[in-house]
Amino acid sequence: MTGFFSADLNNRGLVLDPRTKLAVMLSLVVFTLGGTGSHIQAVRYAVIALSIVPFALHATAKRYTKTVVLLCLFILVKSAETWLVPRLSGASLSITSVLCMLFVRLMPSLSMGSYMLCSTTVSEFLAAMHRMHIPQQITIPLSVMFRFFPTVTKEFSSINTAMKMRDIRLGGKNAAGLVEYRLVPLMVCSVNIGSELSAAALTRGLGAKVKRTNICKIGFHLPDAVVLVGIVALFTLWILGMNGVVK
Amino acid sequence: MTDNAAQIKGVSFRYANGEEGALNGIDLEIRQGECLLLCGGSGCGKTTVTRLLNGLIPHYFEGDMQGEVTVLGKDIRKTSIEELAGSVGSVFQNPRSQFFCVDTTSEIAFGCENLGLPEEEILTRIEKTAKDMDIEKLLGRSIFNLSGGEKQKIACASTAAMLPQLIVLDEPTSNLDLDSIEELKKILLMWKKQGKTIVIAEHRLGWIDGVCDRVLFMQQGSVKEEFSASDFFALTTAQLNGRGLRAVHIQTNYLETKTGMTSLIDFEQRGTIRLENFHYTYADQDAIRIDTLEIPQGSVTAVVGHNGAGKSTLIKCLCGLQKGFKGSTVIGGKRFKPKQMLTLSYMVMQDVNHQLFTDTVLDEVLLSAGSCSEEKAIGLLERLDIAQFRKRHPMSLSGGQKQRTAIASALAADKKLLVFDEPTSGLDYAGMESTAKLIRSLGCDVTVLIVTHDMELIRRCCTHVLHIENGNI
Repeated sequence: MTGFFSADLNNRGLVLDPRTKLAVMLSLVVFTLGGTGSHIQAVRYAVIALSIVPFALHATAKRYTKTVVLLCLFILVKSAETWLVPRLSGASLSITSVLCMLFVRLMPSLSMGSYMLCSTTVSEFLAAMHRMHIPQQITIPLSVMFRFFPTVTKEFSSINTAMKMRDIRLGGKNAAGLVEYRLVPLMVCSVNIGSELSAAALTRGLGAKVKRTNICKIGFHLPDAVVLVGIVALFTLWILGMNGVVK
Repeated sequence: MTDNAAQIKGVSFRYANGEEGALNGIDLEIRQGECLLLCGGSGCGKTTVTRLLNGLIPHYFEGDMQGEVTVLGKDIRKTSIEELAGSVGSVFQNPRSQFFCVDTTSEIAFGCENLGLPEEEILTRIEKTAKDMDIEKLLGRSIFNLSGGEKQKIACASTAAMLPQLIVLDEPTSNLDLDSIEELKKILLMWKKQGKTIVIAEHRLGWIDGVCDRVLFMQQGSVKEEFSASDFFALTTAQLNGRGLRAVHIQTNYLETKTGMTSLIDFEQRGTIRLENFHYTYADQDAIRIDTLEIPQGSVTAVVGHNGAGKSTLIKCLCGLQKGFKGSTVIGGKRFKPKQMLTLSYMVMQDVNHQLFTDTVLDEVLLSAGSCSEEKAIGLLERLDIAQFRKRHPMSLSGGQKQRTAIASALAADKKLLVFDEPTSGLDYAGMESTAKLIRSLGCDVTVLIVTHDMELIRRCCTHVLHIENGNI
């Protein structure tokens, strides 16, 4: 299982600097989610290319099924938005267009988010944050949080197993308690793990006043340069479009 | 520098939410370079002592503290945990909550990084530690894919890389099999050779013979008796049990029995549960391949085998929890598919917290009980000796009581097959004894399977042993 921040170091394909991933994420949020510059035709085409980037990244990490499924869905919905929506009217128009818009706007960013979490290790993340001069008061709680996700996922699956044995499932006789029954044990376990985890981290010197080193090597390489040039190009296009140089 | 690595003088401590004191005026000295074992029943205060040594008390766990603690010449009150980090290393009980990173190399580097050591120095230390502990092949792996024993080795390595003078271990073996314990013992011996001071708080005692120099027996927050290692390991099992301690010597190692089913006592056969075609393969490797296997109905069978032998896959398949499993189970001539087994069987998990869902013990029992009436449920609770807690929240009970609640809910749902996953990990003698008694008392209506490394438990309550290795009987 590939969980959050539990990158498989031997098998993760293209290695990008965490900062590059952040930059991609940021531009996805600005252009696809925010719909910035969508009145400029050149930007609109470039944004479609940008939306494909997360899928391509998933592919380099050899998650082919995910890539293909997500990509097909995206193409399907995008074409529906482009060709089907203009032919509809009334209720079907509003429902379809809202659904399509939500999907087309959200999906690339979500997909990028999942790629970021799956392909970055906690140390890489800390190193990148450090290089960007983000203070420890912010990075340490964040890193604890990320460390917590895989654990909670594991707890969650154990609880699911336990629920199956008690016949608490959709369609079972206790379906009503599906959410409630899950939260209590999850919270108890999370609290226990959280406090044990912080105790362990403290005894290993997390939070000491000395400047923390990081042995993890991050840095910009050729793939980063390609991606970043693309992003800069997109922003340039947008600015040019705003000034009426391109349409 | 004195000869003492640490000194605890007249310390009393009460946890902020505890009613009784965890430590009552305890005095102890830990000599430089010695290996000290702290033993005693649950709640005797041994874990609290380890927390005094690594600074978690008073800096992390809050409470009332009196007395003086000096560790490596520093007053613990005036020294923060982070400052102690470089000189006091800690290894904890639960591997799932002591790792901070997700891959092994960063985990070993983590402590050193926090100390602000230069990069080259850290890399050399990782290399040296890995070589010393013979874990080079574990470097660069994801921690989630390691076995319990391997995880504990990484925990030791990440502590050792910080080059501490004093190393504190709090129940380091409660999740380990006998082989992994041997490996841990080797690591401790190496540390001793390097002149490090070691303090271990432990329930399982046998493995420490040959490592430790001095043993302190604790009771109710103070040191009751002190032994030299040779005196302590010469105590008889009865003397140890009288103190609430587990046996030092394992009388029978059931891992040495031949693989397959072995009957331990004369058992009146009343029918069998026959497993047929139990084959299961994970993406990359065969987990189990058992063509047929018969388990006597009403028996208490221990499932033993080394880590990775396929024990957990077997019980998951049997309980119908393994997706994509195709085998079948025949009980009294009737054939059941895995999905149907889900309604007939119940697994008591190692962490019982995962399976208690409601807000009172009684509701918990009635939750999936179907036709079970309230009187019958109370009867069950009485039988399991937890009727007085029926209005309490299950999460407020002690570990053993939670286990009983889980068992009660299984019995109320009329489950025919109960599976226990390591029911005694981290339990002292009294806890183990009462679990054993409980399992024996379940009677012949239910068949019990216990996955365990605990040889004492097997000796006390099992009628059969099923030994599997490499997924086969």
